[in-house]
Amino acid sequence: MARPSVQFPDPPSRSQPLPSPTNDAMYHTYRSDLSQVRALVLKQAREAGLAEGRANDLVLAVSEVAANTLRHTRSSGTLAIWHDEEEVVCEIHDEGTITDPLVGRNKPSLDANGGHGLWLVRQVCDLVELNSDASGTTVRMHMTLRPPATGT
Amino acid sequence: MDLLTTSVATVESGSEPYTLVELVGEADVTNSDALREVLDAEVAKQPRTLIIDLTGLRFMDSSALHVILRANRSMDRQGGVVALACPRDPVAKMLRLTAADQLIPVYQSVSDASAG
Repeated sequence: MARPSVQFPDPPSRSQPLPSPTNDAMYHTYRSDLSQVRALVLKQAREAGLAEGRANDLVLAVSEVAANTLRHTRSSGTLAIWHDEEEVVCEIHDEGTITDPLVGRNKPSLDANGGHGLWLVRQVCDLVELNSDASGTTVRMHMTLRPPATGT
Repeated sequence: MDLLTTSVATVESGSEPYTLVELVGEADVTNSDALREVLDAEVAKQPRTLIIDLTGLRFMDSSALHVILRANRSMDRQGGVVALACPRDPVAKMLRLTAADQLIPVYQSVSDASAG
C-alpha cells in the first residue's frame, strides 16, 4: 500500500537562482573595510525595527560572510540590504565559489582552525540561502522583524 | 585610528603576577594576524595566567576567536591558564554560541579573573 510521502524542503540548490532584491535595496561595495560594512548593517537593521540583540546577530552574520570575501577572493564584494514589513534581508555577493552546499551545517570543533563563520551565520539568522556557481557566490541572510514568541 | 588596539601589562597581584592583554575596538579577519602576534609574544613568556580584558571590544568575529582559542591551547600545553574578562553583549553571545565560554573561563571583571 502506498503511503503519502513526507515532504522535506530541499536545501537551497546551488543552481537555483535567488529572486532579485527589492528595488529599494541599498548597495555597498567593500574590499577590506569590514567595520564599515558592520556599521551600515547595524544602522539599517535598527531603522528597519530589528531588536538590538538581533541587529547585532545580523551584523555578526554579515561580517562573517564578508570576511570570506577577503579570505578567499582577490576582488571586492557587494552587500545589498533591504527590508519590508516582515523581515530585514542582507545579501553578500562575491566571486568566490563554495563547493559544499551544506557548509556550516555542522558545528566545528573548537580545536579546528576555522569553519565557525558560516556555522555562526546559520545559528543567528532566521533563514540563510546560499547560491554558488562559477560566476560567484551569493549568501542571503534573513531576519524576521516580528519573531514568533519563544515562551522565554 | 586603528580598528583594534592592544595593550599589554604585567600586573603584580599578591603572590603571583599575571599578564593582562586589553583589547579595544573591533577584532576581525583584517587584524587577526596582528592579534595573533601580540598573543603569541605573551604566551612565549610563559606566564602562569594570561587575562584578556574584553571590556572595550565592540565586536569579535570567528577569526579573532580562533586566535584566542589557539593561545588557550598553547597556554594549556605549558601549564598556564587563559581567562577572559568582561565581554560585552555581542562578544559574550559569540563566546556562548560557539561554547568557547565552556573551554575558557569568562569573568565579569579583571579582578574576578585574577582571583581565579
